Amino acid sequence: MIYIFDGAMGTMLQDAGLKPGECPELLNIEKPKIVTNIHQQYITHGSNIIETNSFGANRIKLSHYGLAERVEEINTAAVKVAKAAAGDKVKIAGSIGSTGKFIKPLGELMFDEAYDVFFEQISALVNAGVDMILIETIIDIQEMRAALLAAKTVTDKPVICQLSFNSDGRTVTGTDPQTAAITLEAMGANVIGANCSLGPAQLLPIIELLAANCSCPISIQPNAGMPHLVEGKTVFPMEAEEMASWVPKLVEGGATYIGGCCGTTPKHIAAIKKAVQLLTPAVRQPRKPMLALTSRSKTVFIDKTLPTVLLGERINPTGRKKLAAEIKEGNFLSVKKEALEQVHAGAHILDVNMGVAGIDQTKAMYKAITEISQLVDVPLAIDTSDAKALEAGLKAYPGRALINSVSAEPERLAEFLPLAKKYGAAILCLPISPAGVPKTAPERIAVVQTIVEQALAIGMKPNDFLLDALVMTVAADEEACIQTLNTLKLYREKFGYPSTMGLSNISFGLPNRPLINSNFFTMSLAYGLDAPIMNPYDSAMQDALLASSALLGFDKNARHYSLSASNANAPTKAATAPISEMDLLTRIKTAVINGEKEAIAPMVEKALAEGHSSTEITDQCLTAAMNEVGIGFGSGKLFLPQVLLSAEAMREAFIKIKELLPLQNFQNKGTVVIATVRGDIHDLGKNIVGALLENNGFHIIDLGKDVELDTIVTTALEHDADIVGLCALMTTTMPQIDFVIEALKKAGSRAKVMVGGAVLTQEYADQAGADCYARDGVVAVNLAKDLVGK
Amino acid sequence: MPIYNASLTHIDKSETKRYAGLSKVVFDEKLIEHACLEAQLLSQAKGIWQIYDYNHSTHTIEAEVPANIKGKVVQRHLQNATKIIVLAVTIGEDIENAVTNHFKANNYTHSILLDAAATTAVEMAADTMEKTIKQYIEAKGYQTIMRFSPGYGDWDITFQPEMLRLSSAQEIGITLTSSMMLIPRKSVTAVIGLVPNCDGSALQTSHDCKSCNKLDCLARKESSI
Repeated sequence: MIYIFDGAMGTMLQDAGLKPGECPELLNIEKPKIVTNIHQQYITHGSNIIETNSFGANRIKLSHYGLAERVEEINTAAVKVAKAAAGDKVKIAGSIGSTGKFIKPLGELMFDEAYDVFFEQISALVNAGVDMILIETIIDIQEMRAALLAAKTVTDKPVICQLSFNSDGRTVTGTDPQTAAITLEAMGANVIGANCSLGPAQLLPIIELLAANCSCPISIQPNAGMPHLVEGKTVFPMEAEEMASWVPKLVEGGATYIGGCCGTTPKHIAAIKKAVQLLTPAVRQPRKPMLALTSRSKTVFIDKTLPTVLLGERINPTGRKKLAAEIKEGNFLSVKKEALEQVHAGAHILDVNMGVAGIDQTKAMYKAITEISQLVDVPLAIDTSDAKALEAGLKAYPGRALINSVSAEPERLAEFLPLAKKYGAAILCLPISPAGVPKTAPERIAVVQTIVEQALAIGMKPNDFLLDALVMTVAADEEACIQTLNTLKLYREKFGYPSTMGLSNISFGLPNRPLINSNFFTMSLAYGLDAPIMNPYDSAMQDALLASSALLGFDKNARHYSLSASNANAPTKAATAPISEMDLLTRIKTAVINGEKEAIAPMVEKALAEGHSSTEITDQCLTAAMNEVGIGFGSGKLFLPQVLLSAEAMREAFIKIKELLPLQNFQNKGTVVIATVRGDIHDLGKNIVGALLENNGFHIIDLGKDVELDTIVTTALEHDADIVGLCALMTTTMPQIDFVIEALKKAGSRAKVMVGGAVLTQEYADQAGADCYARDGVVAVNLAKDLVGK
Repeated sequence: MPIYNASLTHIDKSETKRYAGLSKVVFDEKLIEHACLEAQLLSQAKGIWQIYDYNHSTHTIEAEVPANIKGKVVQRHLQNATKIIVLAVTIGEDIENAVTNHFKANNYTHSILLDAAATTAVEMAADTMEKTIKQYIEAKGYQTIMRFSPGYGDWDITFQPEMLRLSSAQEIGITLTSSMMLIPRKSVTAVIGLVPNCDGSALQTSHDCKSCNKLDCLARKESSI
């Protein structure tokens, strides 16, 4: 059967006299007949599900009208006026809209607060007798999760979850339809769909994706096209007939609940009804059950038909004192760094473990999951044995997480399985029973069987499981490897669910562990390991994975392998002449030009040992190189970051010379006092000038940013500065330059004044009485040399 | 009012190169990547916006305490707007401190690349927020025009105190120096004009380097010279 919702409520209420600034839901109490009449019109025109006038009747939205304390009353009235129109044949959906606030960390609202707000409203609607709950026009998956969770807690009645998508096919907070469908179905949504923000044409591909990624019925309520504003009034252009012409495509795309959102009227509903009469619901391809984990914006599948999925294990303070101490202090910078770097190194899923003794695990897990999910887009595994910490993590996580892990210990099963079900998480099944760790593969199968059976019994699905094959130490038991490999094999044969395991335990106590680990890894992949838990920075393991993927047919034509292998041998820089043929001094010069900071010190050391003088090295290599770089920069062939790389290399060379010849006197070209003027907090440009001048033999006294006039003048006099360099980047701070120059002259400083900064010009420098204006750091060096006449 | 803290799950490398003045050159990608990763790690994106009626005849933002926009270019830019969004976005102090510390540790190149990546990050946070705002706005029949900030064209930077007041930027920790600089330095304030979508005619929705007279801008897009 294809169900017909109603159309817009807001615009109908406005037509019936609702004024801007009035609370639409208050009409349920104050002018109930108007609302009943609108419901009635929709029913007459063909709706068989009507939506209560309660879209904004949550505590937060109602507080804008001073009605926060009337949530129950307003929602109860909404159901009453709907019932007055509905009779027996028409169903009533309790409409739930957004709070208008974003949930942390996207906004300031706490997840629990949002949950309570929805719980209150949904309870009122259910108590008043709605047939189903319709959560609609939600743009943040986290808000949808809070509302869905509340609905599922309040009632067993069906819950319809409709998100609003942007024209790029995602919600504005980044969730794509596939990810939404998987996340919400796992949490128990009964119908999944899309409404508002777009017309039927743009929503069609979205519902097709929803339909392809869940087995729930699909709902759609498009706007009547994209709105225009005519004489201050929002007008939706799509006529009823045009809207109806999309209905066959929407049904073919999988929709069985169809209605209208903004700008749709009883006419649109009548046209939709008419179009539906000739149609039967599309036959949807049953989805192959496959384990999928999601983040806010991404889905990762784990299956034997797919390439290996890498689970990064590094967010784990076990045995890492520094990381543990940081977590204890509430500092999550290293945790976030591990997250970013593991993803960068190729991890597809990140395991998050906050197992630090003596801390509030719940708080730490909440914070870790919140921060990591805001930073990276890969799904997360919540790794804990503490049920409270697990729930805090599941709540905070805007997707479908993996729970690491559920063993066959009765307490674990009793606590963890219901949480997995409630929050729509998948579980990592660990074959450990109250009797301990089973040694053989068949024993492990039996233990996992217990976990799976209990999980299925509470309503979990076959695509909710990832099976751990358990890795023991081969040094302690020569059977360890064989038993694990057999377990992997049996998992596939018996369950068909994907498998995982941490690998490194195998080599414990042995020398050259990487060799054992990578060989074991290769064997495991051949026996069916789908998602290894490993250190993604381990290049030996990454190499083993790359080669195995090619060997096992997951890397078509071994393309990735070939690219990666040839990349490894590719030269990183186009050399002008083979380095080895150059003489040493030329090589040093070239290294400075190329900014090869790491290579320079050994070469300088060698040059000195071969009898070259420091002056020779400085003049022929370093200064010559910087001159060349300066010319390249001046002619637009080189850019500032390249100049700075050379400056860094040159600095390393100087440091080496000073280290080896500590008594060597370098010529001081002059003393430069440099500062960003008072009121100005930019100092990067000034720092660059300072660094380049220093490299060129000037003695730099850097006073920093936001420097008082007096400080500059006093320092210039005290050090008998040859040059004072002044920097300002804003029109508001530029006049400070004039004052400083005047004060310097008054105080009798002999220093020449060089000025620069984004807003400065030659003209400004001239009128301020500066001796020169430097457009950039390279120019500044040349001007400085001229100013001191050396 | 609405707070939206953008999730930055990557920092755009090519924009970072552009802000570092490297858009036209081959440069060690690893260094760019390294800077982008650190910027992503240290960015704490926060954003806030408010919506007001705008009177384009008197150039007035009709807040409880109204504010008058001065400057021909900005007034012309907003000439068809009937509402206006005032927004503020920041990525926090940590990244600024890291830029300074890297330079002090003589990692000059990394310091300026990180600075460029931070600029990219704050712009991306603003873009993300603008996209969110757009969804609300378009549903009401408006189109958004290009973001415009004090300091662009002839819009005097001394309007910043009004920008902070109108956007409630203090709620996300943005303050101002007496010389009108935003603290944290990697922050943005801007207005977005909302134009009634009457006929669907094309509007300038993104920054056009051609309309700017700062010809030596490091980030100037090549085709605009």
